Amino acid sequence: MEKEIDLRGLVCPEPVIRTKKLLDDKSISKLEALVESEINVKNLARLARSQNISMSCSNEGTFYRIVFTRGEVQPLNFLEDLAIKEAQKETNKQRVGTVVFISKDTFGEGDRDFSVSLLNVFLQTMFDSGHKPRAILMANSGVKLMDPEGSVLPVLNSFLEAGCEVMACGLCLDYYKLKDSVPSDQVTNMFTICEYMMTADKVITP
Amino acid sequence: MSDKDKIPKNKLTANVKAAGCAAKLGAAELARILARVPSKTTPELIAGIGNFEDAAVYKISDDIAIVETLDFFPPMVDDPYMFGQIAAANALSDIYAMGARPIFALNIVGFPTCDFDDDVLVDILRGGASQVEAAGAVIAGGHSIQLDEPVYGLAVTGLIKPSDMLTNGGAKPFDKLVLSKPIGTGVGLLGSKAEMLSSAAQDALFGSLTKLNATGLDAGRAYSIHALTDITGFGLAGHLHEMSKGSGLKARLNIRAVRLLPEVLELARQGLVPAGAYGNRESYKEAVHYIDKVELEFEDLIFDPQTSGGLLFAVGADDADALANDLLRIGFDASVIGQMLALEGSDKAGLVEIVFK
Repeated sequence: MEKEIDLRGLVCPEPVIRTKKLLDDKSISKLEALVESEINVKNLARLARSQNISMSCSNEGTFYRIVFTRGEVQPLNFLEDLAIKEAQKETNKQRVGTVVFISKDTFGEGDRDFSVSLLNVFLQTMFDSGHKPRAILMANSGVKLMDPEGSVLPVLNSFLEAGCEVMACGLCLDYYKLKDSVPSDQVTNMFTICEYMMTADKVITP
Repeated sequence: MSDKDKIPKNKLTANVKAAGCAAKLGAAELARILARVPSKTTPELIAGIGNFEDAAVYKISDDIAIVETLDFFPPMVDDPYMFGQIAAANALSDIYAMGARPIFALNIVGFPTCDFDDDVLVDILRGGASQVEAAGAVIAGGHSIQLDEPVYGLAVTGLIKPSDMLTNGGAKPFDKLVLSKPIGTGVGLLGSKAEMLSSAAQDALFGSLTKLNATGLDAGRAYSIHALTDITGFGLAGHLHEMSKGSGLKARLNIRAVRLLPEVLELARQGLVPAGAYGNRESYKEAVHYIDKVELEFEDLIFDPQTSGGLLFAVGADDADALANDLLRIGFDASVIGQMLALEGSDKAGLVEIVFK
C-alpha cells in the first residue's frame, strides 16, 4: 500500500512521531511525506536509517518531498550525499538543455530485434559524436535499457560518467521487475520527469 | 475566555511554538548580530561578552566583584512547578560556573493570563523560589508582562573575590576534564514531548534538569580548578571548544566516557534531534575533528543543546578521578571525559578532538 502525508506546519517532534507511526505499519510499502524545513529532512533521514528504510528527498522550492521505500538498506553516507545532491539539483534546475526521453525500448517500429539494436546504435552515436544531453530519462518499456543483462547499459553508463543524468521511472522499473538492479539515485518519479521536460530547451524522443 | 476554556494546569507546553527545539538563537546567528552592535568595555569588567563567559563579572575592589547573569525560556515540561525549578537551576548555574555564590535573584515573567489559571504562574514561581532558597539566595523582585506563550527565568546576582574567579580559560596541558552531569537533555525533552520515553528515563531526565550545580561546585573547591564552565545551549562540543580556545589549547573528548541520559541514544538514532543541535553542529564544524569514526547519534548528542547541564571542570590529572568520585558520592552522575592538550603542528586553539575508546 502507498500513502502520502503532509507534515508541513507541524512543530518538532510531531513530524517524526507521525512518520514513525506510518513506517511502523508494515502494510505501507511506500510513504511520501511533505515537510517544511531542512531540520525535518535531517531528522527523518535519521529515522529512516534506524528503521532500515530507504529515503529519497527532493527540494520543491518552499518544501521538501520525501519518499520512503521499504526493503532497501540506507547507504551510510546518505546525509552528506543529501547536501551535495540538493546543491546539484538546484544548479540543474536552472540549467536548461536537451533532455532525451526514451519511452520504449525500440528505435521506431519494425522488426523487433532490429529496432532494439538500432536504439543502441543511436545512443552510441550520440555519445561518440560528443553530444551531452542534460539528462536521459526513461519510462515505460524504455526502462528496460537499464537491464544489467541488456546491451544498452554500457553506453548509458558512459553518459553517466560524462556528467549526464541518467534516470528511470521508479513505477516502470517496478512494473518490469528491474528496480532491484538499478542504483537508487537513478530511480526517479513522474514529478521529476515532468520538471525536466518542462524546463528543457528541447526534448528528444527517439 | 471563561475559566472552563483555560488550558489544563498540567499542559503548560500546549501552545508553545518553539519549545526546547528552537527557543535559543544559534551561536553563529548571535555572533553575526552582535558584530553589528557597537560595544564598549571598562577595566572593571573582568569577564563578559568577549570571551563567551557564562556570566559578567564586575570588579568593585580587590576583595569583591559582582557576578551577573540572566536566563529565560518558554516551558519545556508540562508541569509548572518543575518548569520553575528547571529555569531557576539553569539561571543559577551560570553563577556557579564562574566559581561564585548567588546572593539574590529577580524573576522574569511573560504569561498569558487569559489562557491559564493563576495557579499555574503561582506554581512556576514557587518552583523557581524553591531553588533560589536552596541556593542560599533570595528573590528580591521581578518584572512580568502579558505574552502569548509563557516564559520564565531569572536575573541572578552573585559575589566573588576577583582572584577566585573561575573562567573557561586557564586550563593547562594534560589537565583532565570532569563533567558532573549526563548529556542529552535536548533529545530527552523531545522524546518526552513525543511520549517516547519510559517513565524511568523521564524521571532521570527531570532529576538531572532540576538538580542544582551548587554542591557540585562545592565538591570541586576541594581541588585546584584550572578552568570551569557549565554545559548549556552550545552543547558539550561547543562549550569544550570555548574552554580550550580560552585556554589556548585543544581538548580531547572521549565520547565513550561521557554519561548519557537513559534512552537518548536510541531517540537520537530515530531522528529526535532538536534544531539547536544542527545549529551547533554547523557553528562548530571547523573546530571538531574526529580521530575515531563515531556513529551519527553520538555526534548529535555532543551538539545537543543542554538545559541546566552539568559543570565542566579542568583539573590536574591527579585530581580528576578523586573529583569524579566525590561528585558521584553526592549524587552527580559524573565522569572523566577527556583531557586538555598542547597544540601541535597546525592545530588551532579551541580544537576539539573526538575519540571513542
